[in-house]
Amino acid sequence: MKKRGKGVGSMWYGIGNTGLPNPAAAFIEVLSDTSVNLMVGCADIGQGSTTVMAQIAAEELGLSYENIHVISADTMVTPEGGASSASRQTFISGNATKLAARQAKATLTEVAAGFLNVPGEELIFRNGEIFSSNDNSKKMTYRELMAEMKKHGRLAVGAGAYNPKTTYLHPETMAGIPYEVYSYATTIAEVEVDTETGEIEVLKVVSAHDVGLSVNDTMVEGQIEGGVVMGEGFAVFEKIECSNGVIKNPIFSKYLIPTAMDVPDIYSVVVECEGECGPYGAKGVGEPALIPSIPAIAAAVEDAIGVRFCCLPITPTDVLRELGKLKTQ
Amino acid sequence: MSDRDFSVLGQSVIRKDALSKVLGEAKFAADYKFEGMLYGGVFRSTVPHALIKHFDASKALALPGVACVLTAKDIPGKNRTGIIIKDEPCLVDDKVRRVGDAIAIVAADTPEQVNEALDLMEVEYELLEPIFTVERALEEDSPKIHGATNVHAKKHLECGDVDAAFAKCDVIVEHTYNTSMLTHMFIEPDAGIARYEDKIMTVYCSTQNPHYDRADVAGVLGLPNNQVRIVQVTTGGGFGGKLDISVQCHIALLSHFTGKPVKMVRSRKESTNVSAKRHPMTMKAKTGATKDGKIQAVEVYMTGDTGAYASYGPAVITRAVVHCMGPYEVPNVRVDAVFTYTNNPMAGAFRGFGVPQVAYCHEGQMNAIAKELNMDPIELRLLNAHKIGTTIATGQVLEESVGFKETLIQAAAKAKEVM
Amino acid sequence: MEKIKIAFNLNDQDVSIETMPNKRLLDMLREDFNCTSVKEGCGEGECGACTVLRNGEPVTSCTMLAGQVQGERLLTLEGLSKNGELDILQKTFMEAGAVQCGFCTPGMILSAKALLMKNPHPSRDEIRRALSGNLCRCTGYTKIFKAVEMAIEE
Repeated sequence: MKKRGKGVGSMWYGIGNTGLPNPAAAFIEVLSDTSVNLMVGCADIGQGSTTVMAQIAAEELGLSYENIHVISADTMVTPEGGASSASRQTFISGNATKLAARQAKATLTEVAAGFLNVPGEELIFRNGEIFSSNDNSKKMTYRELMAEMKKHGRLAVGAGAYNPKTTYLHPETMAGIPYEVYSYATTIAEVEVDTETGEIEVLKVVSAHDVGLSVNDTMVEGQIEGGVVMGEGFAVFEKIECSNGVIKNPIFSKYLIPTAMDVPDIYSVVVECEGECGPYGAKGVGEPALIPSIPAIAAAVEDAIGVRFCCLPITPTDVLRELGKLKTQ
Repeated sequence: MSDRDFSVLGQSVIRKDALSKVLGEAKFAADYKFEGMLYGGVFRSTVPHALIKHFDASKALALPGVACVLTAKDIPGKNRTGIIIKDEPCLVDDKVRRVGDAIAIVAADTPEQVNEALDLMEVEYELLEPIFTVERALEEDSPKIHGATNVHAKKHLECGDVDAAFAKCDVIVEHTYNTSMLTHMFIEPDAGIARYEDKIMTVYCSTQNPHYDRADVAGVLGLPNNQVRIVQVTTGGGFGGKLDISVQCHIALLSHFTGKPVKMVRSRKESTNVSAKRHPMTMKAKTGATKDGKIQAVEVYMTGDTGAYASYGPAVITRAVVHCMGPYEVPNVRVDAVFTYTNNPMAGAFRGFGVPQVAYCHEGQMNAIAKELNMDPIELRLLNAHKIGTTIATGQVLEESVGFKETLIQAAAKAKEVM
Repeated sequence: MEKIKIAFNLNDQDVSIETMPNKRLLDMLREDFNCTSVKEGCGEGECGACTVLRNGEPVTSCTMLAGQVQGERLLTLEGLSKNGELDILQKTFMEAGAVQCGFCTPGMILSAKALLMKNPHPSRDEIRRALSGNLCRCTGYTKIFKAVEMAIEE
């Protein structure tokens, strides 16, 4: 018989290292033709940080995404970025990028204010233009601004560094500020359990993530979808078999990760939440994407067959054993 | 998604690296080739805990094409690496602590010669009692893997009056949760290529952690940090498994001694055998609530196996302890955690640093409480959810950007629509 | 062992080479023809990163020997775009966000290409089945399915 069940799982996740300093930095230069070099230590391992940094720099400078060239993770060229871990790069390297862009922009603002004869605070940089928020006849293009910069011998360069506001935790009670900000998420999973074979099929997964600000929806969804499927592996497939210190299944034919056949229908919900500490409020999603799907799938299996499991992964053998259907022990 | 007034943020722009990747032009570490380059390989232990009585590479060295074989005594700098605690030898000097410890490295003209050389190396061990469980590791008479104790880390978190709070609870649920050792299975196995460029040791590699790599490569070679350059090349996934040193120090050493570029590409098997694993954890949890559904107290005792080396173990235990009561207002919390060294594969960072494990525990507890109280699990969570102004167990007051309730509401609404 | 001479068609060009008969097709393509889009993820035919099209059919080049392609037509990702014009799948993979780390991408695109050449309007289930030999650890496959579906619509 096939039995269906649903389950809920939630999580919180502190962004950055726990109760420790973990800074990152960025360098930026706007060139005379308005193209930009951005140098960040942050390693893009496929999660898309290079794209995120370019979007943040473009927004802050008022230039287009295409203008920004990112050089990343080359220790002779880029400043310290720390690890691409702890869901920290959008928040920390993102803040560093924003600060670097802001420093370059301060010089640009000074020169533009002089040229347009308006106070710098009034100026808005957007889509390749600089204009006064009070009088939009007072405007110039970025190219004009860069020509003006050249005339005055000014360079649009900036460096930014950001270290999240945390404290060391008390050695005995762990009191303190472990993280500056947290991401939150809730996942609801629906599964179908075959009580004859013990097989668990994850049918549908809804995963809602508070990311602060979504810098790039497609990439946030990509993280969520990848996390949900990895969570499925955690909950119902994967286990390193180790005997006398030897890993028995170090290869794909023996350590099964989810394939295209195993993927549930995934409904990502991106939740935004205003805040000051992240770059424009952005937090992190890399690890949160994985976490809540694990308890949600486990709970859905429990709901389907009324059995509580205390070990992950829940394999077909485990299901059959709990249902009293294992012929041999 | 964003309704705020941005011109670039919130746009699903096409990734910077997308074009080179769909064209097949993106260069991963294994795709690099330098003129005159050698290939490197690692001779690894096949036993979990042992002293090395004798190592002989003479037959390997006699093979045509073999440029050098290096062992611990050849290391010009410090023979210890590790992200938080430097407890892992680059090449074994004192003893073997796990299957797969690096004993020697070889460079040769072709990958075939490297494999032949590895087959010809001989080692004689004096076996030590191995430890494979946390329980055995904690026993007084167990052999010690590092120093005087097998306790890798111990943490205690406490707030409120847990015992008094449990006494006032209407429902208490107690369960034990276990999670398994897992591996990242990034699709690209670890790889790198190293050479001196204008006297700077330059390492092109697959990594999540270039600046940390720089310090460990410099340490092993005995060079100042600015004489080492790490260039992260296109990296085929990591998920935490490419935070530790993989090939970087070994190829840098081989290049240093041969004066030639040296490339190393791990096989899938070698990559999985020696990269860090997810900590298997056991979590014994007790959660109490009053009948109105308010969680009053949480107590957790957790153990974890960090294997032969610390890797990111200290980060995993700390994060697990801080997060293990879940995103809920719990006024009374007591957590104790112990991680031990064993002779199992090294456990370290894997997407979530212990939080996936503890989330299985805290959410299992929340669902159990909901069942006991006959409450909807979403309602129970909403009732206890973090919000602006919540004080968490470490005493921190949450002041901004707490969107938890919204995720509960929106997930429930979406599930109602599609399930 | 003596070298053998083999001739085949690679990415629309007739090529020939003298090579060891026990050389894996994967190694020959990467080393002798510089087709480094062909990736090695496992060496046992399980992950699909080394997928190439052999007479239009996806095969794992790590489990084939060089000699097996004598007289056949091979396509690697290097040969998919024509005269600088991207294949529709290359475009939709970019637009859908189907690329993350990119290591599985060459094999994934080629498996999808083989499917669309045989079946221009596959269902979601047919797409899943066609891609089931290509492992991806980043994306959760969902945007890859979407990319293939976008290519169908074009």
